[in-house]
Amino acid sequence: MNVEIRYTPSGPVYKGISGPFRHIILMFRELISARELIWRLFLRDFSARYRQSVLGVAWAVLMPLATVGVFVILNRSGVLEIGKVPIPYPAYALLGLTVWNLFSVGIAAASNSIINAGPMVVKINFPKISLVIASIGQAIVSLFIMIFLLIVIFLWYGIAPNVSGIFLSFLALLPLYLLTLGLGFILSLAAGVLRDIPNIMGIATYALMLLTPVLYPTPRATAFEHINLWNPLNYMVNGVRDLVLAGTMKAPFGYLYSAIFAVIVFLLGWRVFYFAQTKIAERV
Amino acid sequence: MNDIAIKVEHVSKKFCKRLRHTMLYGTVDIARSTLGLLPHSGQLRVGEFWAVDDVSFELKRGETLGIIGPNGAGKTTVLKMLNGIFMPDKGKIIIKGRVGALIEVGAGFHPMLTGRENIYINGTILGMSKREIDKKFDDIVNFADIGDFIDSPVKHYSSGMYVRLGFAIAIHCEPDILLVDEVLAVGDEKFRKNSYYKMRELMKTTTIIIVSHNLFQIEHLCNRVIYLDKGKVKLLDTPEQAIARYYMDFDSSTKIERGIRKEETIKFEDVYFEDNKGERINRIAIFEDVKLILKFKCIDEMIDSTFDFRIYQPNGIQLTRFDFQTAFAKNDRESHQLEIEIRNLNLPPGKYYLEIKVAEKAYIGGIWYNALNFEIYAKTSHLLQHRSGYCILDAHCKSD
Repeated sequence: MNVEIRYTPSGPVYKGISGPFRHIILMFRELISARELIWRLFLRDFSARYRQSVLGVAWAVLMPLATVGVFVILNRSGVLEIGKVPIPYPAYALLGLTVWNLFSVGIAAASNSIINAGPMVVKINFPKISLVIASIGQAIVSLFIMIFLLIVIFLWYGIAPNVSGIFLSFLALLPLYLLTLGLGFILSLAAGVLRDIPNIMGIATYALMLLTPVLYPTPRATAFEHINLWNPLNYMVNGVRDLVLAGTMKAPFGYLYSAIFAVIVFLLGWRVFYFAQTKIAERV
Repeated sequence: MNDIAIKVEHVSKKFCKRLRHTMLYGTVDIARSTLGLLPHSGQLRVGEFWAVDDVSFELKRGETLGIIGPNGAGKTTVLKMLNGIFMPDKGKIIIKGRVGALIEVGAGFHPMLTGRENIYINGTILGMSKREIDKKFDDIVNFADIGDFIDSPVKHYSSGMYVRLGFAIAIHCEPDILLVDEVLAVGDEKFRKNSYYKMRELMKTTTIIIVSHNLFQIEHLCNRVIYLDKGKVKLLDTPEQAIARYYMDFDSSTKIERGIRKEETIKFEDVYFEDNKGERINRIAIFEDVKLILKFKCIDEMIDSTFDFRIYQPNGIQLTRFDFQTAFAKNDRESHQLEIEIRNLNLPPGKYYLEIKVAEKAYIGGIWYNALNFEIYAKTSHLLQHRSGYCILDAHCKSD
């Protein structure tokens, strides 16, 4: 009974929470209160997705497998010259793609999350942040499916990964996850206003995948190398791949810079989302 | 001040008419709020209009408020602002207590998942914890009355079951303040009765705002009623007064053309009311004795015709019907007259129209739609304050 909220043109104001950090307190409070909802929405998406499709899990791996397949064929036929890789190429490419998929599947799911929940957003007041976080949960599910596939491929080729590196690599995925979340916050809002966003992002992530050394090692002394010197996704994907294969990173400073970048994007996205979420309900 | 549950101060909300403006302004607004700039919500931009315009009211704890008004009056928009789904563009709203809203039942349902799963998801969306849902689960299922279907995907539910489940979840949230938008009008008779009683029960502990077109329900449940029109408060008063005003405005804004006729065996000439002095009248006081006169010609043989009269409200609801069997065995092309005496005409004040049908068993000899527009009025306002409903009884009270 002691809850008191004021709704004003510049947003909700809660009694007893004031001062310069009130928004940060409220953002955290919202996130904490949303955790059960995030889990429920995640379960909902998960069971709805895998319940009625026969291929179910297979859909999560078909796309990446097809992409790797195309590159393997291009490589074998000599159309595309891929540099030297430490392990058999299909395993190398699939490992990179597994990491990349966390980003690309996450971005795709997040940019649709608010639109898909349209009627709910307009008719119920709940922390909308949970929609975005829950939708990226699907990217984590497909990450695990891909890891399972990777294990099969690694066994097939008889490749031994670096055991301690594997554990570290899960930790090293965290910045990529935060970056995805931060961008996902902004894109989900933008998609609420401009419906083209999910389509644009589909093309954009694909172009980014080709630009980033996911399916090939960074070519030396080319324009690509210069671009990728500043591409945080490059360090995040290859840092994790290095960890799995060798247990150490080739470019730890690049990775550190990327991690800081990711945290900034995440915080920025979260803040934008927090302030804009009441505006979006009018527009969806 | 302490027992105030909701306080709404000069609240306005604007919307766009066109999609292109929506997209443009949406982008601008989001960009502004991101940068921490104040929203320039005070004035209208091109293509915008005030959907809610300077609405103020207060609601004490435990009170029930009704909101009535024509479509597009801003009723749902007010509820959505009270729920915090979007912010007002001007003014402010103060809410004390946990708010539960039934703006659309089953809004968060996933068609592929079972009723059980959807109860948990929807309950969580509405702010219940898992423990709360576990505790209330049986009550919800019983109230929704869906039986074995609880483990079927909700897409196999009938629309009634779907709505019942949504409603059941929402009312078991036990909010301090409940916002209800036109959801009591759904479901079958049994469910409507159950939800009506549930509402009455909730009223004891909960502050409720109801938006409804069911004015009788509003009259029964609410302490006070806001009559909204084009975003503005036209009246905030007792349910009787607000509803009477709403009816009055509705009647005066509806114009019914004198109607089309279909004539086979009969030719309608005229129809009108006559008072006891034999004068033609169009406005009738309640409880007056009147005569209804119908003039017509027989143009073909009419045997055993039934003259059927129906009285409608301007909204198309038929209030009453009466018919008379006559034994015209004539084909004389002469004018005839039918005189019907009506004593104590006890329709509630308002505008009405009359429809006449002449039939010989299944064969329809003639229909006259909207044959006559007439108005019933109350001679004293005293009567109106104490009587309302689908008909007004000429009741008198004695005590010893």
